[in-house]
Amino acid sequence: MKRLLALTILLLVGLASATTVKPMSIEDLTTAASTVIEGKATESWSAWNPQHTLIYTFTRVRISKTLKGNNDGTILLKQLGGSAGGYTQKVAGVHPLMTGDQAVLFLRPSEARDGTMVIVGLMQGNFHIEREAKSGSVVVNNGVNDVHQSTATGVTEYRGAKLTLKQLEARVRRAMNG
Amino acid sequence: MASRRRLLVGLFVVLCAIAPAFAWLPEVTGTGTPATDRWNFGGFPVAWNLNPQTGSNIQGSRSVHDVIAASFATWLAAPNATINVSEGPITTVSSEAASPASVNLICFVCTDADFSKDNTTLAVTITTTTDSAGQNDGHGGTAAFAGELIKADIIFNPSVQFSTDPGGVGEDLQTVATHEIGHFLGLDHSAVVRAVMFPFASDLTTLSYDDVAGISALYPKGTPDYTSGSISGTVQFASGTPVFGAHVFAESTTTSEPLGPNIRKSPIGTLSKPDGSYTISGLPADSYNVTAEPLDGPVSSSDIDGFPSAYGRDTVDTNFTTKRY
Repeated sequence: MKRLLALTILLLVGLASATTVKPMSIEDLTTAASTVIEGKATESWSAWNPQHTLIYTFTRVRISKTLKGNNDGTILLKQLGGSAGGYTQKVAGVHPLMTGDQAVLFLRPSEARDGTMVIVGLMQGNFHIEREAKSGSVVVNNGVNDVHQSTATGVTEYRGAKLTLKQLEARVRRAMNG
Repeated sequence: MASRRRLLVGLFVVLCAIAPAFAWLPEVTGTGTPATDRWNFGGFPVAWNLNPQTGSNIQGSRSVHDVIAASFATWLAAPNATINVSEGPITTVSSEAASPASVNLICFVCTDADFSKDNTTLAVTITTTTDSAGQNDGHGGTAAFAGELIKADIIFNPSVQFSTDPGGVGEDLQTVATHEIGHFLGLDHSAVVRAVMFPFASDLTTLSYDDVAGISALYPKGTPDYTSGSISGTVQFASGTPVFGAHVFAESTTTSEPLGPNIRKSPIGTLSKPDGSYTISGLPADSYNVTAEPLDGPVSSSDIDGFPSAYGRDTVDTNFTTKRY
């Protein structure tokens, strides 16, 4: 992977022109989110909107820890895409949570004001939690490589590594206090 | 690392005339034996419908119409592919939720999607496919196969500054449009850095070899523009256990440009299936090194939309080291 990584780092000079999404740092995500929680998906279903034009996937997430905000108990997450009635809708890069998934979620209320929450940064605020089989470490990954710091003119530092859950929690707390 | 297992790659190199082959690049629908997402150009006419209304976030000397038309033209000119997508009537639809089945919307003023509040999300493409043959295709007929694309909308974020001129202030609109049209046509993200479909590509408005291989696998041309071949093999651990989701790519060892100067030379890649098998198709005649590497960044499993879940898996295997042959 190192060779591909090196090529990517060269390209990151121009990452301000990135296609689809521009990477958000954990600090950016923390600032943009009204709520940051850790939790487990307990129920998930997809359905068409009333106009029958868009399929949304709804996931009930049981909160195990709140890092930002005042939420407790459960939240209802809404994500664009899913399968319903014999049809599937997709948004490249967006992965609806499935029952049993554990994640750290950076959230804000949906613009629809329907009581649901949406993920900040399309899919960037969805950090899947997993335990590495070999090391036993609990790591998080949002599929977008961690950007240590981003500015209006681009990315100033790039680190292509997974974070441990503890590292992520610490950076969220520092961002809130900073 | 001690935890890493040694990787064995069995390569069966087969250079042959092009045949229908499954590349790893397409979006897929279903589980178990996932279907490749693609339009059925014989089923109904496929057209894109531009809402030309824009806000002050669009700057530059070219119109958005010209940029979108140029971006589609780039894909339509791909060698070895036949893509029957035309420009349809202008539309006034300005809401994603109000986009009817008959319209493949290109919108710059749609503000109803939640992502439009994030200025880090430049654009999204929302594709709709049928889960099985026989489903109503929304165009007066029925789908011919599972995974048939029946609608695709491209929504540019009205909160993001775009430039219609290369090098202008803001995001280069043609770069973003070209990438999104790849999704419109059924392509997923690519792990090949120089590909238009690489999720963080930078100022790329021309196709790479990897993009051409992907699109020509989806929509093969009856009479190919160039003779291509494929490389097939199996990726497995030393124990014999197959490696699922290894990023396997072929990289030319020469400086030749068999597809001409307008197609950027790049590696051509694919992902190994659950049984460890892979086929890299669409390869122009050339000499290649083949590399198998874990999909652990910069592109990771999460970037390959639906690939692991389509095979009933949570993620791909990454606990191995890169091997080059």
